[in-house]
Amino acid sequence: MARLSSRGVRLHKKGLELLQPEPRVVKIAKDYFHIHTYGGFTPFFAGLLKKKLMATRCANRACKEKRLFLPPRPHCPDCLLPMKWVAAPLEGTIYTHTTILYPGAPFKLTTPCPLISVELPGVCTRMMSYLKRGTPYIGMKVRAVFNTAKPTHSILDLAFEPVEPA
Amino acid sequence: MIEFGPENLRIPKFARPVYIVAGGLTDFRKRYPEKTSEELVAEAMNMAVLENDLLVGMEELKRRVNFCVYSQFADHFGDQLLAATKMHDALGLDPLGNFEIKTGGATGGSAVLAGAMAVASGYADLVPVIGWERMDEVPTRQGNAYIASAACKNFESELGWMYASYYALMAQRYQHEHKVPRETLARIAVKNHLYACFSPYSQSPMRLTVKEVLSNAIVSDPLSFLECCVMSTGAAVLLLASEEMAHRLTRFPIKLTAICSGTHTLRTADRRNMPVLRLPHEPEELYSQYPHDWPGFSSFLATRMAAYLAFNMAGIRDPLEDLDLLETHDAFTISDIQSYEDLGLRPYGRGREFIESGEAYYEGRLPTNLSGGLIGTMHAVGATGIFQIAEVFWQLQGKWAQFHADPKLWRRFGKKKPRDFRDLQVKNARRGAAVSHAGTGSHVTVAVLEKE
Ligand SMILES: [Zn+2]
Repeated sequence: MARLSSRGVRLHKKGLELLQPEPRVVKIAKDYFHIHTYGGFTPFFAGLLKKKLMATRCANRACKEKRLFLPPRPHCPDCLLPMKWVAAPLEGTIYTHTTILYPGAPFKLTTPCPLISVELPGVCTRMMSYLKRGTPYIGMKVRAVFNTAKPTHSILDLAFEPVEPA
Repeated sequence: MIEFGPENLRIPKFARPVYIVAGGLTDFRKRYPEKTSEELVAEAMNMAVLENDLLVGMEELKRRVNFCVYSQFADHFGDQLLAATKMHDALGLDPLGNFEIKTGGATGGSAVLAGAMAVASGYADLVPVIGWERMDEVPTRQGNAYIASAACKNFESELGWMYASYYALMAQRYQHEHKVPRETLARIAVKNHLYACFSPYSQSPMRLTVKEVLSNAIVSDPLSFLECCVMSTGAAVLLLASEEMAHRLTRFPIKLTAICSGTHTLRTADRRNMPVLRLPHEPEELYSQYPHDWPGFSSFLATRMAAYLAFNMAGIRDPLEDLDLLETHDAFTISDIQSYEDLGLRPYGRGREFIESGEAYYEGRLPTNLSGGLIGTMHAVGATGIFQIAEVFWQLQGKWAQFHADPKLWRRFGKKKPRDFRDLQVKNARRGAAVSHAGTGSHVTVAVLEKE
């Protein structure tokens, strides 16, 4: 069941390794996955593959919020009635930005990575995304671009790039 | 847009007064393999019961406990579900009732709120509030990923797996709107790393210059490593009691006159604009022409909400006038500037003046984070809000030196008291506040403590 690792401590196949004898410290390996549902958000993620930015609008005429929500919501946060799916405009402006140099462990993009919050006309929220090329600044005009070639089926399938040509 | 209904802004009331009778801490370290979480919690409990001049010993105190509140942020980090049950057993408090509170970075503040509710309602007379976090089982990059699991996993976490980046987005917007100089942000980091030099509990004591902070490596622009909180392992305990119980336990009880909470969207993205919720001292005309989004990305509605309730509950008219010291949740330099405004220390857009004027420093008008805060001393998340209130509690008792200056305390944690040690006891401190804060402002509690 156990074998000696190159450092002379016992390495167990089940993934426990002695790192330090005093105080006793062991290393526990983990390798598993989650099965995660996008549930009612599915139209948004399906939309990315069709190069569409699917948002939601409250269908309740009495509700005061007439603007679009992006990130979308299956239920209106104000009246709690189901919302309607609508394609949002693909062009907007950068509301704020930062460039990540030291991301957390599972980060799949390359660094430095310009992170942006985007303001889109008619949308009451400011979605987080990243800028695929160029140097971001507040007020920069940007357009949504979609990764449909090798989709990750995550929010990384959406990015923005400057409206001006490179 | 949020519109308040007539009952939404009801000022909370305690059915009977709540007192703090003791506080206890461990030291805080990046890695703490010498001790399990149970040992850390026991150590903090021992300090609370045995070193706060209580009129009873451990055995007698435990015989008076009715209920316990546990405070841990992330099961991910400790890799142990129902960890509070182990702590409760380790402290020998079975079969008394308990629960564990979770509100992200504000977990400590929320746990004290829960304990206060138990005492104030008459459910219990003596409630230990026990917080800890063990953040050292994984490498730092994985730790950052665990913390970013407290962003939205559908729409945000993949974008960086890094909370500093989410705050950096707010920082850039804040600077665009209000032009806070980088030097002012850096001064907060210099101040809190310096005050950490006078705390035996601190993890990141440093004597820095503004230039050193500004030339430090950038995590996510504009924030440098020295402007971000530490990731810690350690524990903190507070003992809450009813009035009668408090006087049976100590000659120096401090009243918890208010602790209130506010919330806002997990994703900064989802914030919608609304009119500024004004504090008691802010006249209507102050924000009638406010040119920026509110709360936008520059302000924390949750902090404003908690402050609105807590200041009204505690009878605070102007926090700068009525408070003698303050502990903020300085997770990042930018969030500290934002919080000064949400707390009403300066009007929106002018938070920088609180630092630039010198008011935030020891012997200033409202000394802030004399504990060293999250940047200099600790952010063992579940312990943080409790640590902050313990530090304010000792200041109001006039016992800051007892818990910071004793060379034996420094030796206990394997440290040497510095030669240039400074006494940071605030003279004649009567009233103090502490802010516990989660996410990009998802949960906030504001506590007000008062010496009677
Ligand atoms: Zn609606």
